[in-house]
Amino acid sequence: MPLLEVDALCKSYDGSAGAATLAIENISFNVERGEFVALVGPSGCGKTTLLMCIAGLAAPSGGRVAVKSQLVDRPPPDLVLVFQEYNRSLFAWRSVLGNVLFGLEAKGRGGKAADERARRLIGLVGLEGFERHYPWQLSGGMQQRVAIARALAYEPEVLLMDEPFGSVDAMTRLELEDALLAIWKELGTTILLVTHDIEEAIYLSDRVHVLARRPSRVVETVAIPLPRPRHQVTTRAEPSFMELRNRIYRRIADAG
Amino acid sequence: MRPSKISGFVALLAVVAAWELVARAGLVNPLLFPAMSKILASFLALLASGEIPAQIARSMERAAAGYFLAATVCIPLGVAMGLSERVYRALEVVVETLRPVPPPVVIPVAMLFLGIGDGMKIFVIFFSCAWPILLNTIDGVRNIDGLLVDTARTFGLARGRTILKVVLPAAAPQIMTGLRISLSITLILVVISEMIGSTDGIGYFILNAQRRLKVDQMYAGMIALALLGYILNQAFLFVSKRLLRGR
Repeated sequence: MPLLEVDALCKSYDGSAGAATLAIENISFNVERGEFVALVGPSGCGKTTLLMCIAGLAAPSGGRVAVKSQLVDRPPPDLVLVFQEYNRSLFAWRSVLGNVLFGLEAKGRGGKAADERARRLIGLVGLEGFERHYPWQLSGGMQQRVAIARALAYEPEVLLMDEPFGSVDAMTRLELEDALLAIWKELGTTILLVTHDIEEAIYLSDRVHVLARRPSRVVETVAIPLPRPRHQVTTRAEPSFMELRNRIYRRIADAG
Repeated sequence: MRPSKISGFVALLAVVAAWELVARAGLVNPLLFPAMSKILASFLALLASGEIPAQIARSMERAAAGYFLAATVCIPLGVAMGLSERVYRALEVVVETLRPVPPPVVIPVAMLFLGIGDGMKIFVIFFSCAWPILLNTIDGVRNIDGLLVDTARTFGLARGRTILKVVLPAAAPQIMTGLRISLSITLILVVISEMIGSTDGIGYFILNAQRRLKVDQMYAGMIALALLGYILNQAFLFVSKRLLRGR
């Protein structure tokens, strides 16, 4: 039984003239427990809408989403979404530690154990020593690390990430990719990540679902047999990496 | 001390010195315009005798009651109106009709119903403080980034706790702005209401000193009020800075 099932999902918005705009038409895929899955597609293919539906923050117009066979009709307890705009999603009135503790407080966990777990996660994302800093005192990359630590402290079974490294600089992006892989290995959390960067999708994941737009759908699922642990230089230099990249690129380009 | 503060004090001293000189030169009737040294001596005497502290304490009781009542009623109400379009529409007309009423106009009405006791003054202060707190809370809550609420939702936070843990702290800077505006309004209204109908309080004290031609005491009362306003504002800024840390 897959941990996450997305089955014939569609989502339309009411247009201003009464005509409905179709954001997603018929997307289906599964994510198995412990997997790292990437969704890659051109901008405008409804990726963010898709994640909002999976996270129970938007109601689909048709089809279904299930986590652990439970139909998602509200934010599921075992799943957390990390938003693309991490700077807007962090709580400005809470320190780094306070932000990371938020998810634990939401679960009704407090005291020393919660504090220790939050500090461990802060260490895992490489922010040790910044516990008392406030979000506005941190760089963009560091803010995104806080958002990731906050989500993981919650101990979700599924972590959804919406273009998590889309607005940080190139070097920070590579660093954060490796930090995420290290944490994934350590915690074994199932991750579904959305990106428009084909190479990032290949580098991080076990499987890549290729999305096309108009209508939004999964056009191909590509298994990524690259060995782990992966390495920014050697993995990306492998001939099979380039083959996968070219294959996915053509698939997206052909589908328009 | 910052240079701007030093120059501020120098300016204040210059005004005091100019006052003293004008009064001593006899340019203005000394009965209406006593020397600053005489006013300050009178102020210190009234401070030492406990007269001014007692009058201020009476005024502050009323001010605090009206102010905190307004905050207790208007912050929750503002949150409700800010979050729910239905609540907002239901109350919008009431708010928009009552809000433009100049607060002193309420005093005669309040006197009819509540007499000239503390109840009247507390009500008048409450009425005038309510609007800045209410409108700023509504605005603050409405302008919260929806992503913060979505963040709370993805962590499974229930609605009530989302209000406490996300909505209120996110709107806090603007709620504090409303509270600060209302603080200065409180001081104005407590004095006006005490001047119109009272037998104690700093407003009554100042008007009474003027009527008895104890002009130095009248000015002393004004100094006490000015100091009180300054201290209250500084205290508010101190608390607000602590509460909003860097925002």
